[in-house]
Amino acid sequence: MKGSLTVRNIVIAGVLGAVAILLGVTRLGYIPVPTAAGNATIMHIPAIIGGIMQGPIVGAIVGIIFGVSSFLNATVPLFKDPLVAILPRLFIGVVAWLVYVGIRRKSEYLAIGTAAFLGTLTNTVLVLTMAVVRGYMGAEVAWTVAITSGIPEAVVGTIVTLAVVLAWKQIGKGKKSRISEDL
Amino acid sequence: MASEFELSRNITIGQYVPTGSYIHRLDPRIKLLVFTILVLAIALNTSYLGNALGLLLSIYLFWASKIPISYGLSGIKPAIPFIIILAVLQLIFQGNVFSGGTLFFEYGFILITSESIRLVIVSAVRFVEIILLSSVLTLSTSTTELTHAIQSLLSPLKKIKFPVHELSLIITIAIRFVPTFAIEMEKMMKAQASRGADFGSGEWWRIIQRTKDMLPIIIPLFNIALSRAEDLILAMESRCYTPGNDRSAYSVYKALGRDYLVLFIGLLLSFLLFFYPFPY
Repeated sequence: MKGSLTVRNIVIAGVLGAVAILLGVTRLGYIPVPTAAGNATIMHIPAIIGGIMQGPIVGAIVGIIFGVSSFLNATVPLFKDPLVAILPRLFIGVVAWLVYVGIRRKSEYLAIGTAAFLGTLTNTVLVLTMAVVRGYMGAEVAWTVAITSGIPEAVVGTIVTLAVVLAWKQIGKGKKSRISEDL
Repeated sequence: MASEFELSRNITIGQYVPTGSYIHRLDPRIKLLVFTILVLAIALNTSYLGNALGLLLSIYLFWASKIPISYGLSGIKPAIPFIIILAVLQLIFQGNVFSGGTLFFEYGFILITSESIRLVIVSAVRFVEIILLSSVLTLSTSTTELTHAIQSLLSPLKKIKFPVHELSLIITIAIRFVPTFAIEMEKMMKAQASRGADFGSGEWWRIIQRTKDMLPIIIPLFNIALSRAEDLILAMESRCYTPGNDRSAYSVYKALGRDYLVLFIGLLLSFLLFFYPFPY
């Protein structure tokens, strides 16, 4: 039951959502890069981890929570637009899940790393595309932002996701409850 | 030095201050609705007067709910250096985008216009307003009330098989765990610092160094979050919680006359902020 909302999916989505909110309100989730977008971010990582661990629905829900909290915390007009702040974030976890499931058979490490990298790129590319479409920045500015904040985001995202997911899979398979999978 | 680690003191989301004021006793559904609309209205208002009105309103709400305003201000304190850096960057780089209005200063690509100054001031004030407003809401409403409110406001969506109850539970868990994780993170930062780790003392332009400094905090944070999640899953499953079942509520809310009055005033204010053409 990967898709539907089980107890496990509900709790993991809520807890990862809490981490996304916390990284936002403490400003720990921002990497200050002086570009038009203001900051690079690592707040999308919970959405990627949710997607990898529990499937696309959890990934999308954590993405929404991240989007709404970045919408409410935003100090630049760019992220005061729900179409830029919330909509693109839906796809982070979904893309991460698709990539992870696609590569998992070949190598677990490679799958997690690639999923994190492409999940981050989904965030960068979709947000900047929406920003250009909605007229907040020109295409040239968007390219500069993509390079100056997109690349550090992708690198940090890959490192953190790999560390967290691998650590989690190693600690006694992580799961305490024996019946989660049956419910 | 120690104040750098006091994260939990600065996070007001998820805390509840029971003072029994008028605002505390409002129907949570109406309260949530009014606050959501007000925050949206403020987020979309770009005039000086409109934002001044919003600021006054958020301070008034603190007074009316008898919650010390220091609770709200502590949410703003950690963001101040950030707001200042951002304001300077916006002032320097956004002049070309918001080039309308009077031109005050021009040097090379730096362009300071009355519109870009407006952008800087309004976005800073708006940030303060939104933090204050959302603090009043969460400080005066317990998480249980908030869940019931979200659930009953979204309940029309049940008709199209939308998992309303599950979604409101996810939101509640998220809000409930923010202060818990803040305390955990504080512990970790202190533990790491006592072993010689160095946080946030690097200059802000040394981006790579600062990011590296954060890794020993962020990775354990995720692990703690996930192990808390396992405990909660075990607890819920052992109590036979089944998602998707019909369930009745312990307390049933009934909106009174005063609730509708507040709803009316809130809507009126939001319409004012949305549509009234403020001269400044």
